[in-house]
Amino acid sequence: MDDLNIPASVSTPAIQSNWQAGTLAMQGDSYPENSYELFSPVFEWLQAFLAQESKPLSMELQLVYLNTSSIKFMMDIFDLLEDAHRKGASVAVNWRYDRQNERIAELAEEFKEDCTFPFNIIAKN
Amino acid sequence: MKLDDHLELEKRIELLLADPAYQGHPLHEALSEIWELFRAKLARVERITKLSDAYQLMAQKGTVSMSERFEKEIRQLERIVRISDRYQEMMQEINAALVKAATHDPLTGLANRTLIIKRLVQETSRASRSGHPFVLAMLDVDYFKQFNDRHGHEVGDRILLSIAQAMRSSVREYDLCGRWGGDEFLMLFPETRLPEANSVMERLRHKVQDMELIVGSDALSISVSIGMTEYLPEESFSDTINRADLALLEAKRNGRNCCFSA
Repeated sequence: MDDLNIPASVSTPAIQSNWQAGTLAMQGDSYPENSYELFSPVFEWLQAFLAQESKPLSMELQLVYLNTSSIKFMMDIFDLLEDAHRKGASVAVNWRYDRQNERIAELAEEFKEDCTFPFNIIAKN
Repeated sequence: MKLDDHLELEKRIELLLADPAYQGHPLHEALSEIWELFRAKLARVERITKLSDAYQLMAQKGTVSMSERFEKEIRQLERIVRISDRYQEMMQEINAALVKAATHDPLTGLANRTLIIKRLVQETSRASRSGHPFVLAMLDVDYFKQFNDRHGHEVGDRILLSIAQAMRSSVREYDLCGRWGGDEFLMLFPETRLPEANSVMERLRHKVQDMELIVGSDALSISVSIGMTEYLPEESFSDTINRADLALLEAKRNGRNCCFSA
């Protein structure tokens, strides 16, 4: 599976994956015209990684604004991680947010609600 | 027929069929055939009943898992809606902050030029419609440059801040206080005539004159010069501004720390 390296645009976040290191990172705002187009490769990459690898996977997020369809996709992604976690895979999410914008932390908390895997919400300066 | 009678009958028939005394009797043969047929039919009925029960169970299970999935989808939708609403709130707050930043002076928090002009356009058209004029006042800090040069920009900023504070505390809710630029301020009094505005500005002038700004061991006394004018029908707001500016110049020429009208 090829790694992803998608640059950010006005309405889409930057996305990088690193199979070797077991990381998938996203930064920025997400309100794409077609969220399926944006999130499908991410979803497929995660599915492939979880199916083929036994090493740990971590998602490094620095997301700010998400529109409704992006929220839905992020929930599906977290559901995927939750399933893998229940089957014994080692998965984690690290969601970093700007200390100036506490609201992002509250929103990340909402996403975290149903997740039993490590989901860290980290303030950065 | 009760179940017990049923079983009794079956037992009796089986005993009769097994009895060697009746072997070869034509009725034995007929009974034996009808007995086989009955057994076969019974087996079939039992199978159908079993199948039907199994289907019922499966359908029931299907309904349960469907409703579980449905419940899960509903839960997810509810969360999406909740999170989405919170993002909207966040965007609205950011928007409001941006609007404020775009229309207010960051140092004093007063209206900036953009907002002043917007209000002037509104007030001009309101005054034209209603025939009730507004008053425009321009204020300038006396010897501001000297204060700045002698004590530094930080003291200059403190002077501007205290004047902004004094302005705010002198006006009604629908009057506008703005920073026109540098050490020049502007005040807008809708539906107001000159004498009324003049007494407000005189009070403000005294308030500023009585303020003491402590810098190190010095107590600085500051003052403002004020020029004001009433909007005249049909004129553009830049005419009104120019006239207020001229009145301000007049105040400066007449020794500062005073109010002039034009």
